[in-house]
This record gives sequence, C-alpha cells and structure tokens, in this order.
Amino acid sequence: MTSRTFVTIGAGQAAAVAARTLRRRGFDGRIVLIGDEPHAPYQRPPLSKEFLAGSEGLDSLTLLPQKWLDNNDIEIVTGTTVTRVDPASRSVELDGAAPILADAVLFATGGRPRTVPVPGPRPDLVHYLRTLDDARRLQHALAPGKRLVVVGAGFIGLELAATATAMGVEVTVVEAAPIPLGGILGEPMGQVCMRLHRSNGVDLRTGTPVDSIRTTADGVLVELGDNTTLAADLVVIGIGIEPNVTAAAASGLRVDNGIVVDAQGRTDLPNIFAAGDVARRWSDRAGRHVRLEHFDNANKQGVAAANAMLGRDAVNDDAPWFWSDQYTQNLQLIGNRSATGEVAIRGSVDDLDFTAFYLDGDTVCGAFTIDRGEDVMAVRELLGRRIDPAVLTDEDTDLWDLLDAEEPAEVVA
Amino acid sequence: MTEDWIAVATTKDLTRRRKLRVEVDGAAIALFHAGGQVYAFDDVCIHQDRSLFKGTLWQGKVICPGHQWQFDLETGHEEDQDRCQPTYEVRVDADTIYVNPRARRVAAATTAEEAHS
Repeated sequence: MTSRTFVTIGAGQAAAVAARTLRRRGFDGRIVLIGDEPHAPYQRPPLSKEFLAGSEGLDSLTLLPQKWLDNNDIEIVTGTTVTRVDPASRSVELDGAAPILADAVLFATGGRPRTVPVPGPRPDLVHYLRTLDDARRLQHALAPGKRLVVVGAGFIGLELAATATAMGVEVTVVEAAPIPLGGILGEPMGQVCMRLHRSNGVDLRTGTPVDSIRTTADGVLVELGDNTTLAADLVVIGIGIEPNVTAAAASGLRVDNGIVVDAQGRTDLPNIFAAGDVARRWSDRAGRHVRLEHFDNANKQGVAAANAMLGRDAVNDDAPWFWSDQYTQNLQLIGNRSATGEVAIRGSVDDLDFTAFYLDGDTVCGAFTIDRGEDVMAVRELLGRRIDPAVLTDEDTDLWDLLDAEEPAEVVA
Repeated sequence: MTEDWIAVATTKDLTRRRKLRVEVDGAAIALFHAGGQVYAFDDVCIHQDRSLFKGTLWQGKVICPGHQWQFDLETGHEEDQDRCQPTYEVRVDADTIYVNPRARRVAAATTAEEAHS
C-alpha cells in the first residue's frame, strides 16, 4: 500500500476530513490535497459569523493544524486548478503544473456563488461570500453607518445580516419569496426567523424580487419589483451556489446538479469518488439522490469516501443536520420539515427558546430549535417514531425517556 | 484530603439531575453523572463559549448544545475536531462531590494519528 497516491481535488472540509480519515485508518501512502484558493484547508462556517465580525482570527479557521500536517506527511497544493482527470490512467491534470498520477481521486470541489450581472463603474461594491478572501474583502467594506443591501434571505444572507447589524451597519435584506427560509423550515418557522431579524432592526423585505442592480460612482442602486429603488453603499448577493463540476464533466463523470455518486461517494468510474457540496449521492433514507450543502454532510461524506477508497463499507446516511448562529441565537435543524411545515412547540417561541417538532401525521420527521440544541441528539434518535405531540411538547417529558420506552436504553443514565 | 479539594455538590443532587453547573474560585464547572461516575468539565465550551452544562449526555460523551461537539467524558477529547475540553479531577466521599480546581487538565490532542506509525 506504501506506493499508493490519494489525491483530492479541492481542499475544503470534505477533502481535509478524508485525509484525516485515511491516516486514522492506517493509509500510509501519499496524500495530496489540491485547492484553487491560496489557503490551506479552512473552515467556512465562521466566515459569515465570528470571522466576519472580527471576533475570531485566521488561526481559529484552521482545519488541519500544521503540526498534524507535518506529522502525517500531507501535501497541500494551493492556488492550483485541476482541469481534468484522465479516467484511464487517473492522471490528475493541472493548469500550469505537471500532472499527478493517482491511485484514487476524490472530487471535493464544492460550489461557487450564483452570480447576477451588475453593470456600472464600481464592481468592487458588489460582494459574494463563499471564500476566506471574500470574507476579508467584505470585512474591510463593512463599517458602522454603511448601508448594506443583502440580496437573498437564505442562511448566508441572514447570518451576514445579523453579523453586519451587530457591527452597526444599516441592513436591508430583499427576498423574492414571501417568507425567508420557507422552503427548508416551512412557513411557521420561516415567520419566526423573519420576526427575529425585524426585531433586531433589519429591514427585511419579502415577496420582493430584484429587477436590476447597478453601481454608480459612489454606490449601488437596487431596483425592486415593486418599483422602489434602494440606494446602498455596498451589496452582497447570496442566492445560493452552483456545484463546481467543470473538471468532473471534463473527466467523463456523470454530472446532474452535482457529481452523481452512490451511497458512499463512488462515481461511475473506478477509484474516483466525490464528497461534500458537489456530490449528489444516493440516500436510502430519502429514497433518492441528495445534494446537501452543509458542513456536517461534508464531514460525514468525507469520512465515507475515504473508507470507500480503502475498500471499507461505511455508508453514512444520517439525517441532515445543520446549525446557524444569528444575533445571540443558535438555530439548528435536524431531519426534515413535514410537508405542511406545521410544528408542535416545546418551549416558548416568544422567548426564542424552543424546539419545534415536525410531524408527518404522528411520526417525528424533524425538529427546528432555537437555543435548544440540547434536544437535537434526542430528536435524531426519535426520527421515524410515532409519538403523541402532547407528550413531545410537555416540558416535563424527558425526550430521552421516549427512546427508552420503545427500545432498550442505550443512553448513558 | 488536602485543602485543594472543594466540596461542590452532593451526589444526591447530581444523581437526580445528571448535570449541574457550579462555580469554584470564579471558574464555571459542569458536573456530569453517567455510568455511575462523576465527571467535571470546564463549563464553557472551547469552541464558541456555549454552556456544556446545557448539553446532552450520550454514549459516554457530553454533547455541546451549540454545535454538537462531542467530548469524551473520560478525557475531554473531541474526536472529529481533535481538540480537548479541560477537565478536573473529581472525588466522591460520603455523598459529597469534591473538585480540585487546581488540577485542571487538558489532554493532548492526537497530532500524530495513532494508526500512522
């Protein structure tokens, strides 16, 4: 095994976790991480939050400590674009450098922000937020009293709105949908998030499509569908990402809204894998292929793909989970919302201290929490079980006891 | 028992609630009762300052409510992050739980993976 070479295309969360997993599993061959950004692997979640706010520095973003990299002999190639992988020889072809012959390749190329054309003389006033360099540029542009317009009330847009508000920036968020996050959280919880932002002073305008954006000599004009025009000092566009599939397509991989892979990250071509935001993997749980853009998914699929590469079966089909930190609140979603989005509430919505259970009939299919992260693990274990909502919402019920009621306790008592 | 050991709670209190938050010399310490043992951790999570006392005890770990980091109760080690939450020595004597705030321990992260030698 000593002579084998493992290459990741992309050097983000999924790639870093795959590298760590390979070493933990005893792989002693060569590991090369190739990223197109000028940085060693770093964590993206803080970019819209603590890092942007300046409360956490560069060091806190580090994914793989230098000492670990040295001890584990990991090669990191930065600022380098992979053009394609030759499927027969598995030669990883680089833009402007010699190719690397690999025994196994992991595509972990992530995504890039969806863009809209913005004419005008000041493109520098228009921002996106995906990379460390994006975050730095935005950090320098934000200052108290500046007028910021955020286009798109998704998680990136709303986290950024919260962070900028706390920095004293005047924030307007425009969203075409009638309710922010309605698609993922359902209407009632979307409404709660809307109130959270409005009560913190954000001018959140929903049901408001953007007609055009253009820069002037000293600002940005955002024309809205209702014929009003917002004048801003800067704009951030946060309308989702597109998976980075150019190199995968050029390598002959099956691409359909992401790289199509099996439950453990295997592509149709031998010894070529994909994980993270770019991968659309089969999920037994969902009964279809899913492409998830969450940190937890990148971690778990990075581990699964590394195991697949070593010939181990280790599928991870855990329920989706993510968190978001906005203002002083901690939001988490485990599982999925129900079709209607209706919820059974444990705790207090008014106090922003609750767990909202999503039920499909009387079967638990997910939960959204605000400052109740302690319920998330219990809900994860309760997914798919039929439980009386009155019992779930009773604060005197210990959620772990519901688990014990049906199966022998695994809980550490 | 030397004067470094400070009585912080009764086993009766902790057994009933499984988790307690106490302050010792100005330091917030979370006590956990699991598998018949008592554990003491820095209450403030090393990740983003959430209170571990609010966390979940699950399969020999305490799970931070903020971002679900999972700390081993014996060592404080978070395997996915390869970082450690500080822990304290605990003694139980005649139904009283004692913590030694001077014996704050931070286990070493595994900078070299054990399987890679």
